[in-house]
Amino acid sequence: MRRSGHRRLFRFPLRGQVDQDVDAELRFHLDERTEELIEEGMAPAAAREEALRRFGDLARITGACREIGRHREREVWWIERWTELRQDLVHASRQMRKAPLFTLIAILTLALGIGATTTIFSVVDAVVLRPLPYPEPDRLMRLWETNPQTDDFSVSDPNFLDWRHANRSFTDMAAIRSASLTLVGDGEPVRLNAAAVTASLFPLLGVQPALGRAFLPEEDRPGGASQVVVLSHRLWQSRFGADPGIVGRSLRLDGRSFTVLGVLPAGFNFLPWADLWMPLAPDAAADRTDKWLDVVARLKPGVSMTQARADLDGIGRRLAERYPESNRDWGVRIVSFPEWIVGPRVTRTMLVLFAAVGLLLLMACVNVSNLLLARASVRGREMGLRAALGAGRARLIRQLLTESVLLAGCGAVAGLGLAHGAVRLLKAIGPEGVPRLDEIRLDGRVLAFTVAAALLTGLLFGLAPALQASRANLYALLQQGGRTALVAGRRLRDALVVGELALAMVLVTGAGLMIGSFLRLQRVDAGFDPEGVLAVQVELPDREYPPERRIVALPEMLARIAALPGVQATGATNAPPFGAFRPNINFTVDGRETQGPEDFLSADWRAVTPGFFRTMGIPLRRGRLFTEADRDGSLETVVISQALADRLWSGEDPVGRRILWGGTGGHPLTIVGVVGDVRDVDLEAAPRSVLYLPYGQCPWAQMTLLIKTGLIKSEGSPAGLTDAIRREIRAQDAHLPIPEIRPLGESLAGAVEAPRFRMLLFALFATVALLLAVIGVYGVMSFAVAQRTREIGVRLALGARPWSVVALVLRRGLVLTCAGIALGWAVAFALTRFLASLLYGTAPTDAATFTTVALLLSAVATAAGLFPASRAAAVDPRLTFGAD
Amino acid sequence: MKMDLLQGTLDVLVLKALSWGPLHGYAVVRWIERTTEEVLRIEEGALYPALHRMERRGWIEAEWGMSEKNRKAKFYRLTDLGRRELHAESATWHRYAQAVGKVLQAVQAV
Repeated sequence: MRRSGHRRLFRFPLRGQVDQDVDAELRFHLDERTEELIEEGMAPAAAREEALRRFGDLARITGACREIGRHREREVWWIERWTELRQDLVHASRQMRKAPLFTLIAILTLALGIGATTTIFSVVDAVVLRPLPYPEPDRLMRLWETNPQTDDFSVSDPNFLDWRHANRSFTDMAAIRSASLTLVGDGEPVRLNAAAVTASLFPLLGVQPALGRAFLPEEDRPGGASQVVVLSHRLWQSRFGADPGIVGRSLRLDGRSFTVLGVLPAGFNFLPWADLWMPLAPDAAADRTDKWLDVVARLKPGVSMTQARADLDGIGRRLAERYPESNRDWGVRIVSFPEWIVGPRVTRTMLVLFAAVGLLLLMACVNVSNLLLARASVRGREMGLRAALGAGRARLIRQLLTESVLLAGCGAVAGLGLAHGAVRLLKAIGPEGVPRLDEIRLDGRVLAFTVAAALLTGLLFGLAPALQASRANLYALLQQGGRTALVAGRRLRDALVVGELALAMVLVTGAGLMIGSFLRLQRVDAGFDPEGVLAVQVELPDREYPPERRIVALPEMLARIAALPGVQATGATNAPPFGAFRPNINFTVDGRETQGPEDFLSADWRAVTPGFFRTMGIPLRRGRLFTEADRDGSLETVVISQALADRLWSGEDPVGRRILWGGTGGHPLTIVGVVGDVRDVDLEAAPRSVLYLPYGQCPWAQMTLLIKTGLIKSEGSPAGLTDAIRREIRAQDAHLPIPEIRPLGESLAGAVEAPRFRMLLFALFATVALLLAVIGVYGVMSFAVAQRTREIGVRLALGARPWSVVALVLRRGLVLTCAGIALGWAVAFALTRFLASLLYGTAPTDAATFTTVALLLSAVATAAGLFPASRAAAVDPRLTFGAD
Repeated sequence: MKMDLLQGTLDVLVLKALSWGPLHGYAVVRWIERTTEEVLRIEEGALYPALHRMERRGWIEAEWGMSEKNRKAKFYRLTDLGRRELHAESATWHRYAQAVGKVLQAVQAV
């Protein structure tokens, strides 16, 4: 038996049908044979028995036949599907070639949408979704000390050792401390960033060196002969030409000799700044208030973060009881690696971007949907004909969907090309602050996403037109003009345009908020003036420069530089603005009682030279600045920021008061001056409290020299001056590595880089959204005018003025626009609060932004409608009667 | 005397049976019995897996119809593919039979 094709359209062959057929066929055979035997004179029962005997093993044969039948059905089913698909694809590509302009616009629109979505997905995937490149990364934790003011404080050596020994929740803990070393030999001395780490770090992270070995547990014991280093892959390549025989060689670092133990693998990116790694032996006898260690740990299997937190809290409490002077008010905080490395803000940014680009893709779908609907009315007769020739509705829908999926597939291919370029661009210009940016790539996961996106969009934008067209086909055939179908199609298209305008409203509002926030952020007063200031990092290492020499050497160096032509002022700080080094100290006010954690005081601190304030343009508010006389042996002084003065002595004069460095029992420092506030850690936050110490009393080894020049921003840093500065530094000490000189403005720009990037992406999305909205409105209006040519002709013939025809067309556009904007306003109002944490000084429902965007969108939509409207007014009444 | 069917010959017999026109399974059995004057004996049940396999290969097509006694029966018809297969198979058979015959009629080894 042959079943007609469409009955099997959407289902797999039914097992029951095959079985019944087999049974019926075999029964027929047995019946015939039995009957014949009876005719030959056998008794019925005997005849039946003989028939069965001659037949053989009935059960086995039945089973074999059923099996064959099922296979056959399945094959037939697949062959039919494949044949249909091929027919549909051939038909679809023919249709696409028939309307090249339509095809081009549709593919470009989809390429834009799919390309943008793919790009952002690849970023989201690399930054947020893909697990970190360590075994069981969710068991890895980052640990901090906390006080009532700060929750991400480094850890002191003895505290780390106590945590490590007392805890029951972690397989191990590791500590990291950054250091800076000078490598000499083979050419110029270079300064390298070293990470001193406990031997537990690499096993804990699950990382094996690519060459040689990592540290042994005995190599990080205090006093151990630990003159060994492990190189980063980068240093191994850049400085040692990827020498495979590097293991066992010795290097001279800071005048001492170190043996190379191994080289880390290329992808190991745990501390991107680390050029080399050396063993760290935390000192149990160190001061508990001296907090320098970064601590990581791996949770034991089966231990939850909550349990670990409780464990650490208990340890923290016991330490506070045992060492009240140093550990009172201090606790422990534990954060998972993904949260530490990526952070909630970046995650939020990523999700918002992904949502935005998803809306964009939706708009692209709506546009193509609209195009297809417009085309469907042209193809009404083709559909009708196919229906008349016996194609079922499901068959027609399937054929139309094949067309739209094929379109989406072409769009996806073009979109992947776009995404490829966009990803490279992102990697090149992406802000440094975004973690894991280097991990972005278009891999199988991203490709799978693109394929899924293409299929889904193809179905999404194709479904409405396909349903519409397949429904319309009979009417279209019956009525020559097919007007009934067109009315239904018009309503659908109107709805789509309203939806599209609403989506545009949401996107453009988001972008508007981002832009407003960014502009506000750029106007934030940082409190210092980076214009023309150059920053140079210089280290005077302990061995050659004991503190008493340093106190002399650095001012000498600054004086040499100050004497250069074009230099207006010089100064130095140990913590340049927006740097990684953010020293912070707790203190108390001399004479004030402290009771509970609410009295806990801490502030950022910086060691600065007397010229620092003038170089940075930080104004003096009260008292005096430092002088060369603030040095070892004289009264220990401190200059405080206005914010701190307001916080502790509002309305009073703090000059002459004393604070105790490190808290009760600490070193007394006398306040000699108050200076203006700076935002040098977080531009978006309120200014922080700062304590400035005179370099003469706090001669830090690593300093950043700040050099105010007469240069304006556009001139950058001319080679002449930077060379002269380098010369002066080397003239003082030829062993110092050649320093890098950068404009201070760069670090300020770096602080707004992430918001700028966010704003740029949103602005880009909004531009595309506007463009799509314009195309959508234009398309619908043009089509409406084309449909109503005859009616317009009649009106004009009856004496209507052209402008009234324009108004007639525009009115319809305006109704759609208003509906879209109203809908979009409501949606945006509900959605923009997800942006709140990414906005600076801007309410997510900022009325001005909403209104501006609504006006902008209506203006743009009206403009898009003007052209079709003016074409309507130009209709020649005589021609229209001939038409149709 | 009755002989069991040689392996693989059932297919070609069925194809030949169908070359005269559509038949149902039982009629195929009867035709083979009658034609070979009941010399060749087939296990009747074995016919059906063979029919279904050939249907799957596209050599024959099946359709439900009415038997001469007005019962519903499944009729098989040779397809073009099946006809080609029949020609190829019978040619092979003839060559085979001739070769075997020559060997058996040989008078003397050279």
